[in-house]
Amino acid sequence: MKTLFSRAGSLLRNLTRKHQMERELTEEVGSYVELLTEKKMKEGMNEREARRAALVEVGGVEQVKEEVRAGRTGVAIETFFQDLRYGMRSLLKKPGFTLTAVIVLALGIGANTAIFSVINGVLLRSLSYANPDRIVMLWERSLAGRSEQNVVSPANFLDWQKQSASFEQMAAVAEQRVNLTGGTGEPEEIKAQFVSQTFFPALGVQPLVGRSFLPEEDTVGNDLVIILSHELWRARFGSDPEIVGKQATISGRQRTIVGVMPPGFHFLDNQVRAWMPLALDPAIDYREKTGRYLRGVARLKPGVTVQQAQGELTGIARQLEQSFPNKNTGWGINVVPMHEQVVGEIRPVLIVLLAAVAFVLLIACANVANLLLSRAAARQKELALRAALGASRGRLIRQMLTESILLALVGGGFGVLLAYWGTQVLVAFGPDYIPRLDEITIDPRVLGFTFGISLLTGIFFGLIPALQSSRPDLNDALKESSRGSTGGRGRTFRNVFVVAEVSLALVLLIGAGLMIRSFMELQAVETGFNPENVLTMRAQLPRKKYSEPHQVLDFFKQAQDRIAALPGVQAVGAISYLPLTGLASRDSFRVVGQPAAAPGQEPGVEVRVITPTYFQAMGIPLLKGRLLNERDAKESRVLLINETMAKRHFAGVDPVGKQMEVFWDGSGPDEIVGVVGDIREGALNKEPEPAIYWAHPRVPYAGMALIVRTSGDAARFGAAVQKEIRALDPDQPVADVRTMQQVIAKSIARPRFNMLLLTIFAGVALVLASVGLYGVMNYSATQRTHEVGIRMALGATRADIMRLVVGNGMTLTLIGIAIGVLASWALTRVMANLLFGITATDLPTFIGVSAVLAAVAFIANYIPARKATRVNPVIALRYE
Amino acid sequence: MTLYRREGKLLLQIIYMSTRDDDLKADLLQGTLDLLVLKALSAQSLHGLGVSNRISQITNGTFDVKPGSLFPALHRMEEAGWLTAEWGESENKRRAKFYSVTKAGRRQLETETEDWQRISLAIGSALRAS
Repeated sequence: MKTLFSRAGSLLRNLTRKHQMERELTEEVGSYVELLTEKKMKEGMNEREARRAALVEVGGVEQVKEEVRAGRTGVAIETFFQDLRYGMRSLLKKPGFTLTAVIVLALGIGANTAIFSVINGVLLRSLSYANPDRIVMLWERSLAGRSEQNVVSPANFLDWQKQSASFEQMAAVAEQRVNLTGGTGEPEEIKAQFVSQTFFPALGVQPLVGRSFLPEEDTVGNDLVIILSHELWRARFGSDPEIVGKQATISGRQRTIVGVMPPGFHFLDNQVRAWMPLALDPAIDYREKTGRYLRGVARLKPGVTVQQAQGELTGIARQLEQSFPNKNTGWGINVVPMHEQVVGEIRPVLIVLLAAVAFVLLIACANVANLLLSRAAARQKELALRAALGASRGRLIRQMLTESILLALVGGGFGVLLAYWGTQVLVAFGPDYIPRLDEITIDPRVLGFTFGISLLTGIFFGLIPALQSSRPDLNDALKESSRGSTGGRGRTFRNVFVVAEVSLALVLLIGAGLMIRSFMELQAVETGFNPENVLTMRAQLPRKKYSEPHQVLDFFKQAQDRIAALPGVQAVGAISYLPLTGLASRDSFRVVGQPAAAPGQEPGVEVRVITPTYFQAMGIPLLKGRLLNERDAKESRVLLINETMAKRHFAGVDPVGKQMEVFWDGSGPDEIVGVVGDIREGALNKEPEPAIYWAHPRVPYAGMALIVRTSGDAARFGAAVQKEIRALDPDQPVADVRTMQQVIAKSIARPRFNMLLLTIFAGVALVLASVGLYGVMNYSATQRTHEVGIRMALGATRADIMRLVVGNGMTLTLIGIAIGVLASWALTRVMANLLFGITATDLPTFIGVSAVLAAVAFIANYIPARKATRVNPVIALRYE
Repeated sequence: MTLYRREGKLLLQIIYMSTRDDDLKADLLQGTLDLLVLKALSAQSLHGLGVSNRISQITNGTFDVKPGSLFPALHRMEEAGWLTAEWGESENKRRAKFYSVTKAGRRQLETETEDWQRISLAIGSALRAS
């Protein structure tokens, strides 16, 4: 107890009365030396001898004092603050080094954390369903290989449900746009999913408010209920806590709200705002009456593997093929784990980005290591001196550690800011295709990881000089570093790091270069139509109000006429699905007079339904025959084909006047009256598919996209066009009002985002590599000042010196570039399917990017070289 | 090497405190040094050199404690409350810091003496055993 009080007192004294303590210590040791000297004099030595002998016996006054200090209570705290002060001072004394290191660390930590957070949020974080690894998607699969993940026929789904035993629940989902009225605000078109009653149990998610669907609500007539998304509940119903039991009008029908889902819940599509019962009717023969339009999702029974489920369903599919040869021949079932479904498509991108993250992190670490090694070489003398003045090995190591950690913390601090900001930018720029992008925040584990790696690099390479300089033979160290030599142990290390940095940066730059080239190719694609000054929008007419086909046709006819009458509007047309939005109807067909294909082998065709003025509005040329016109009613049995169709299925013959049958409703063949130009329909990077165009009366779709060609900036016409539609039907919402150029931009948002990410990475890598190169060259130029002085004194010209120094750096650069090119050659293959129009080993990109890197490296070499030639030989010779 | 009691059992703990390689040989085992310093100061108060001389004297010159070990030990034991120090004058009128043993220090001396004897006995008998 006494000891404890005594120590506490000592601690207080040690920390507060430091100067007095130091004075007393000096005096005490001094008096020891005096007393010892006197003792030796008494023993017969003269004063000088005695003092010398006494000092030898004491063994270094400063060392003794340091030993005493090291034993004091609270020495750790005091040393820490001392080290911190000293560390800050020495960092501030070299602002160039400090700034560079902080930038390198901040970029390395910040950029990596931001991008890794995005990747982590998408790829690595688990889905927000209960036991997501038990959930699988069920698709039909065309065995001819046309489609791996095809939507499912309701008839088949019902049979799977009946016959399979692998699943706890199996649910079907159909997605549709519906019109919502009720709550606050204008009528609105929203995306909704019609789902089996087993849908929510299969995903293992409960509503936040209310309940999920009851089994009896999944039957025709009892299905007028709805579950809202959290977002719709908030935006449209003011988060009303008493919402359950209230009504919402969906496409003209009153539905009772029974629940609200938790925030963030969605299934495949985060734009969906409501769920309603699918209510398949067992009395309907779906096999004959409808096509394939469902998506299946199921929860595996405990202990059943995906392979076992796949095996069972494959057996069921074979039986169905035999039972229904006309509809099921050539169709299998594809079981896809949910996680695979969500991230599978974007996995190649993520892998490339993950590699990029690793590369940038490596470059940053190599850079920090290099900076610290250069600095250490420059500080060798200082450390040796401090060791000679009594600093123990441990003390020096602690000092170095404090400095490295201080540096890492400052860099890391800026890195966190950068990560925070960068994540926000990425989320803002990210196209909505990225699943769960909205759930992404900085992941503390990610931050910890990158921070930890940088910190470890800092500590490791910060320690090396301390370990080197605290060796016992201080004499050598003091002598060696005063000689201004060109060599040094760290030099090979540094050169290796520079080469590694350059080659890693080159791989990233080539990757980014390929993405940029590919994106440029994509933008240069001929769309086949004229997207300038075109405004588009969608209107989905509710079936309840527009139950008769002529009502639908009238609505769109009148809407077109009204809009066409607006000043500045040149043409107005409509189509079932807007090009480049990823939606299309498909069916199989036969050409009358050509041999019939085997069941399941029929060729496919895209089916588009248009109003006659569509082609003028889009600017698509007529190549042969005539366009459709207002007189082409349901009975007139005519269609148009596109150029690809003509080339592929009417090679060498004039298709105009020929008959073909699309197996749409089994009503027989139509006559081809014209051929129109191809357009990029599915995506800019997809070659046009064979397609046919039917007039709207032939298939009176209730949902059409309107196309308005205007004389000027199309965006300005949005309000006027919407006003005309509201005048026609005040309850009818209009959705997705945007220009055709916006539609195109959105369709390539994904490659643009990939390009953006990789370009950021490559940019960071380029900056880091040039900083690294500059740092090493600058250091070696400084170290060689003495040598340069000798050379100049011996008659070397400035150009000679320049050649020497730049040559040295460029040799390293070129080695790095050579390695980088070889590595890229091997590595860019993984991104082959992200590219369009160029190969993964695109020669212009390889050459161009290498040249850019070489140029930047040259500048990083040139600046220190120029500095070296400015040296006055006389001063250089004296330089230490 | 320090000796201390825990639950009545004698434990041996090795503390490796030496900081510089070349000091290692000259460095006394810390516990032994503490014991010797306390013993040297038990009769009278002494300054640093006095302690060193006294130890040399009572150990018949076996232990020659250098200032690099002595001063840290003195300061450490002062902080532990076993010693007090005050400034005074040496026999030849030099200002010097004199150390003396406190009550706690005497108790510590007793404990350590007892421990030392037990160990010494134990090791002695161990070495005699055949």
